[in-house]
Amino acid sequence: MRLLMYLPEHYEFFCPVKINSGNRALEQIPCELDALNARKPLVIAGKDAGERGLVDVIIDAFKDSGIAIGIFDGVPAAPDLKLIKELFNIYRDRGYDAVIAVGGGPVADTAKMLNIAVSGKPEDIEGCAGENLIKRPLRPLIIVPTLAGTGYEVSKYAFFDGRSYESHFLMPHLAVIDPRMTIPEDAVTTAATSLAALSHAVEAYTGSGKNPLADAYAYTAIQLIMEHLVNVIRNQRDRNGSLSLANAHAMAACAFSNVAPGVAHKLGKVMGDVCHLHPGLCMGMLLPHILEKQMSEGGYHIPDLLLPLAGFEAYASTAENLRARKAVDILHDLLKDLSAVSGGVIPRLWKDAQVSEDTLQDIAQKAVGVGASFDMDGCVKIVRQAREGR
Amino acid sequence: MDMPGYYEFCCRVKIISGHDAMEKIPDTLAQLNAGRPMIVTDKGVVGAGLIDIVVNAISDGVNIRAIADDVPSDSDLRIVNSLARLYREKGCDSLIAIGGGSVMDTAKGINIVVSEEADDLMKFSGANALKRALRPLIAIPTTAGTGSEVTLVAVIKDHEKHLKMAFVSNFLLPDVAVVDSRMTLTLPPAITAATGMDALSHAVEAYTCLSKNPLSDAHALAAIRLISDNLLKVMVNPGDKKGRLCMSSAATLAGIAFGNSMVGMVHTLGHSVGSVCGVPHGACMAILLPYGLEYNMHKNGHLTAELLFPLAGPEVYAGTPNEERAEKVIALIRRMNQDLYEATGGRHARFFKEVLDREGKEMVAKEKLPDIAKTALSDGSIFYNPEDLDYNDFLMVLEVAWEGTPLNPRSLSSIHSPSSIIRTT
Repeated sequence: MRLLMYLPEHYEFFCPVKINSGNRALEQIPCELDALNARKPLVIAGKDAGERGLVDVIIDAFKDSGIAIGIFDGVPAAPDLKLIKELFNIYRDRGYDAVIAVGGGPVADTAKMLNIAVSGKPEDIEGCAGENLIKRPLRPLIIVPTLAGTGYEVSKYAFFDGRSYESHFLMPHLAVIDPRMTIPEDAVTTAATSLAALSHAVEAYTGSGKNPLADAYAYTAIQLIMEHLVNVIRNQRDRNGSLSLANAHAMAACAFSNVAPGVAHKLGKVMGDVCHLHPGLCMGMLLPHILEKQMSEGGYHIPDLLLPLAGFEAYASTAENLRARKAVDILHDLLKDLSAVSGGVIPRLWKDAQVSEDTLQDIAQKAVGVGASFDMDGCVKIVRQAREGR
Repeated sequence: MDMPGYYEFCCRVKIISGHDAMEKIPDTLAQLNAGRPMIVTDKGVVGAGLIDIVVNAISDGVNIRAIADDVPSDSDLRIVNSLARLYREKGCDSLIAIGGGSVMDTAKGINIVVSEEADDLMKFSGANALKRALRPLIAIPTTAGTGSEVTLVAVIKDHEKHLKMAFVSNFLLPDVAVVDSRMTLTLPPAITAATGMDALSHAVEAYTCLSKNPLSDAHALAAIRLISDNLLKVMVNPGDKKGRLCMSSAATLAGIAFGNSMVGMVHTLGHSVGSVCGVPHGACMAILLPYGLEYNMHKNGHLTAELLFPLAGPEVYAGTPNEERAEKVIALIRRMNQDLYEATGGRHARFFKEVLDREGKEMVAKEKLPDIAKTALSDGSIFYNPEDLDYNDFLMVLEVAWEGTPLNPRSLSSIHSPSSIIRTT
């Protein structure tokens, strides 16, 4: 008996992001700008990108293009609306017509806010906070991811100045993934961002919003992370591995933007906040425990998850009734391997991250508050499992 | 998985899929700031009663200003221009294309003319001549095959000057593809078979040819799984709504896959048979697909072997030794053609000598094969085929595909020996 491919009765999918990936991808930007009818981009980056020489790589990539680019490489860790107004004035007064964001986190969020402003006026920003309140396409936006992003840079989400924004129009027109830009900074950050991407992709692939188009992105992201994450943590100079992980992050963001956020995402975010850990690490630690609970509840597409996790050969040689179990075991093993190859720097269990038992109720309460699909007891149980191991 | 040194992937088309997906069109148009569409379609679609279904589904929410149902089976510059005039006269603000490839191409052509306020479509041919978004275009495919609802190309023919113009731009992509099971429920068996195999050939060539990438692979694998699960099912039970929706989704997935990876010799030869003999595209694809895989086997047999998984399922995959998988894939595709041949009472052709027109006459005369091989030499899709083909190679493949004898993969290494450098056209 074969497992028929799942197709929902109704689904919608939208991904406006073009992905350009690989050698000299940055050098294609002038041509892509032309196709977007833009010719004068403003590049924005954080200080660290400048210090790491990433901004110089961008400047170099435009050298032979005849295009003059503007550069602002002072985006702080917590940007505010005042910065957006400054950038808005620069963009308007000097005639820029596109934004290129180098990196994720606050830089990508700043770029998204700036894009709302320059597509209308800075006062529009506040009114766009919330779900689907942007009504028309924005000006050209290009994201050049690094491996230190949050996994949200290519997504429809932005978090800025205490507010959250959600619209497909916030997704970039183009993600340029170039191996010169995706060199890992440190093991924990790389693991955390990849685990966030893995969690998003797995929850898209197994959850109720599953559809074949989101699946294609999620499937590829999961495959790439399983193939490369441990290797990159072991050998941070694995150029192809790092490029592959950055690809996976962008793809997971595309899938994540087309399904409702899952419980690993929600619980992981709360846990990260309460414990001051990278939310991606929390999502990764929670994920196998959550899948285990969902396995017993039924209704999730967990057996099929073995396919992107382990490949055709392993899937085909595993009996149908054991596939879900095996998928979860593989995710447990991934955490063990990451912890082992990093010499314990990457925590496998929450208790490894030196967080006390007392915060547990607090986390569960907040998670239920943000609409995680488990009840209070369920959340407490999951978080306890992630703390103690099985 | 091999990460290519460089690749690009993009599909900006919003997909709405379901058994009552068309009911979403009024809201969707409103989000695109439009509400006065012109419907572009052909007589076949009208004759099948499909326009009534669409009109019923959307007329409460939108003001349909015009229904143009005179798109010919071959796109035509004059029709594009006259429909653009109609669009302007009726004060339309958007387009809804309902049909197959020619209708989609025509609607894309009209969209260029009305959006650019141009008189001469010619000015916009070639790659990237368009610089900004066009008017909203919604595509509703009525066959589960071409994938043109998600491709960025439009081919418009100028029959007076005997010119074929290709327009290529991301701006030609429809804004939305609405995939609704009601549109393919009445598709006749032979067309269901041919278009289903068309979609399969898109996915298989996307996965096995040179310009593949991880995302085109994932789309192709999903398409192949859906087709192998559902094509014969809908042949036996044409009213199977779920099966029909799966086939339509497969066609869309396959369209996205090959739109981002290009195709190979199956398409090269298929285009040529189509242009020399007028054989429908899907029929050519079905016949040529196993031969393309055989011809390329020594270059990409490991990729063909992987397709046994989506095509036959995990049990068969696990039970077949690795070195036999590629040949099994080819055998299974031939088996599909055989099953479709039987299910259509012989109307689904397995070989070119079996392709008949409406009057029952042979469409591909054996004497035409050299012409077809010559035409194939100038088709751009050959660039992405794993193995080179010269005139003699094309002719050899056409001859076996005409007769219905397999190419023996084991004997092929001699064909690709240095002697092929000596043989010239």
